[in-house]
Amino acid sequence: MNAETATATATADLAGKYLTFALAEEEYGLPVLRVREIIKMMDITEVPQVPSHVKGVLNLRGKVIPVIDLRLKFAFAKGEVTSRTCIIVVEVALAASRVMMGIIVDHVSEVLNIVADEIEQTPPFGDRVCTDYMKGVAKVKGTVKILLDLDRVLGTDEAALRAA
Amino acid sequence: MTDNELAFLRDDPEMADLFLAEALDHLGTIEAALLALDERPGDVTLLNDIFRPFHTIKGNAGALGVTSVQEVAHRVENLLDLARSGRRTMGPADVDVVLRAVDVLTSMIRDVGARLSGQPGAELGPVAHALIESVDMLISGEAEAHVQSHATVSTPVAGAVAVEAPVSPVKAAATEPTRSEAAPENAGASRRGGEEITAIKVDTRKLDILVDAVGELIIVQSLIQEDPALANHVDQRLAGNLGHLKRITAGLQRSAMALRMVPIRQAFQKVSRIVRDLSRKADKSVELVLSGEDTELDRKVVEEITDPLMHMVRNSIDHAIEPVDVRKTAGKRPQARLALSAYHQGGHIVIEVADDGKGLDTEKIRARALERGLIAAGASPSVEEINALIFEPGFSTAEKVTEISGRGVGMDVVRRNIDALRGRIEITTEPGKGTTFFIRLPLTLAVLDGLVVGVGRERFVMPTTGVRESLRPTPAQVHNVQGAPRLVQVRDSLLPLVSLGELFGLPHEADPCKATVVVIEDAGSRVGLVVDALLGKQEVVIKSLGETFASVRGLAGGAILGDGRIGLILDAHGIVELERGVNRAAA
Repeated sequence: MNAETATATATADLAGKYLTFALAEEEYGLPVLRVREIIKMMDITEVPQVPSHVKGVLNLRGKVIPVIDLRLKFAFAKGEVTSRTCIIVVEVALAASRVMMGIIVDHVSEVLNIVADEIEQTPPFGDRVCTDYMKGVAKVKGTVKILLDLDRVLGTDEAALRAA
Repeated sequence: MTDNELAFLRDDPEMADLFLAEALDHLGTIEAALLALDERPGDVTLLNDIFRPFHTIKGNAGALGVTSVQEVAHRVENLLDLARSGRRTMGPADVDVVLRAVDVLTSMIRDVGARLSGQPGAELGPVAHALIESVDMLISGEAEAHVQSHATVSTPVAGAVAVEAPVSPVKAAATEPTRSEAAPENAGASRRGGEEITAIKVDTRKLDILVDAVGELIIVQSLIQEDPALANHVDQRLAGNLGHLKRITAGLQRSAMALRMVPIRQAFQKVSRIVRDLSRKADKSVELVLSGEDTELDRKVVEEITDPLMHMVRNSIDHAIEPVDVRKTAGKRPQARLALSAYHQGGHIVIEVADDGKGLDTEKIRARALERGLIAAGASPSVEEINALIFEPGFSTAEKVTEISGRGVGMDVVRRNIDALRGRIEITTEPGKGTTFFIRLPLTLAVLDGLVVGVGRERFVMPTTGVRESLRPTPAQVHNVQGAPRLVQVRDSLLPLVSLGELFGLPHEADPCKATVVVIEDAGSRVGLVVDALLGKQEVVIKSLGETFASVRGLAGGAILGDGRIGLILDAHGIVELERGVNRAAA
């Protein structure tokens, strides 16, 4: 297999339906199959002794789920809570189990069917940009959507928490 | 055991699970019947109760190709068959060997499970061969050689060679007459206490899902009940229907909780086994009296309480119960009595472990505690306080360390385990007459009685088992250390003050005299926890915070409060530890 076909396979694997959302003027996408539901901002119970981007826990119809503020996770400025702010409940694979987690985003945009042709592998940014969380970049209708690797974004919280 | 034996099971994981679960179940039945047989040798019903499950295990193992298990079961079956047909009486030596067989088979079955799940297997071949050898010796009438046969355990090769030859002829003979027995087995197993109870096996995960769902239902029900929109609404029919809904959900919750309950019998059975083995080893005569084996507890509690119970019984036999001649001189019954009972008391389960041994030597404990600095030189603790010192880590008054106990590890572990189950342990003792331990446990681990406390705008739930009292101190009771209030005087004792708000970095009332101090206790050490307010007492459903917060100390989980918000459940042990850590960091 030459380099070109390898790239083609990788982007073909990424093709599919994505839920896109906005975070500080940027557009992100995550695989729609991992999304359980989208809820409006709710009352979150803070948990002590955790990094600041871990907002706490919320009661999702009787289930206690952790909530992450994605803005703080990505070191953006703290966002104002508006009527469009919402929590996307996603399923994440952790070391030992699959769990539900909530992520706070500025607003959700739409569900997009992204085809392989629109996807490019994460370009080399050098060390100016941390690309660990990115699976790839999609150009749709003239805008760029950053496709997130959920397990890495949220999974690394585990490591951070344990180390703390 | 070889890996080829597992080829069939590997292909059919569902069948494998069923086989393993059933086999362990049968081994449990066998063990219970054996212990009963020890007291009533020659009881044919019991013999059948032992024989049939062995036969089933053998049959299943054979059909699934697990030949090593089949082989062991088969040999034991030979011995049992002799007894069943009246050609042999099951003496203590026979019971011993069959009990050993139960142990060996249990480890073999566990080993099969381990290997199937990809873990490295254990080498159980020599143990199995040694066992087969003992069984064969018994059968061939060398019962007296039994004791010496233990010596040959370490030479499995000799045993292995002797094993092969006589298998097939006996096998055919043994299998034939028992075929008809296999059918009524299920009917027999479900008959207990004369009453017909039919039971089905359910995957515990399904049960947990049901219990979770019911927990959510209860929460939603209370959310609706307490909804402000409804509170202002006066409508008789609506109020009536809501009341009805509440009763039904409460009933449903009770039934769902009951599903997780199992009789404590299983834990008691393990204890019977250990009493039997230990009393022989320690050369003491002990009669074990069980009562309330049908008392039901949360499955998890039964599992977790077994080890502490075994530890306590071991301690009793080793330390408390005197040898026969000492008992005779003291004018006591030569056979000691160890009573294990379980009963309900005020929303709790109480397990009593009572012996009629020599009782705790309070003077000796006091002397030892002084020596180890556990009691201050001038202090005059009460008898109860002194006796409670046996739960301190590393505390032992035994002059000699025996095989069974005396290393001073044990009672502290017992208390830690019981604490973890949110239970309490107490002692009453009378010199020369005996000692009784009372273990008080919650009925279930799924709900907890909590004190809801507020700090800033957050609310926390403190399990009531850890709470001793709460008070609002007067300025005279509070003492500053290095410029901050760090100590509170409660009657005679000075307790460290821990501000929950400070510990968790929340806005809080800094002056303890305007706040509330909740005195919590963990493993004997008490601290005064400063909170802004006491908000009430509530029964809450415990929810795990999940892996994400596994490393957070001082919290035991989350609970959904009446208004739908989550209150974090505090963990007394973690808070006491955190407090110490904070102090150490500050020093």
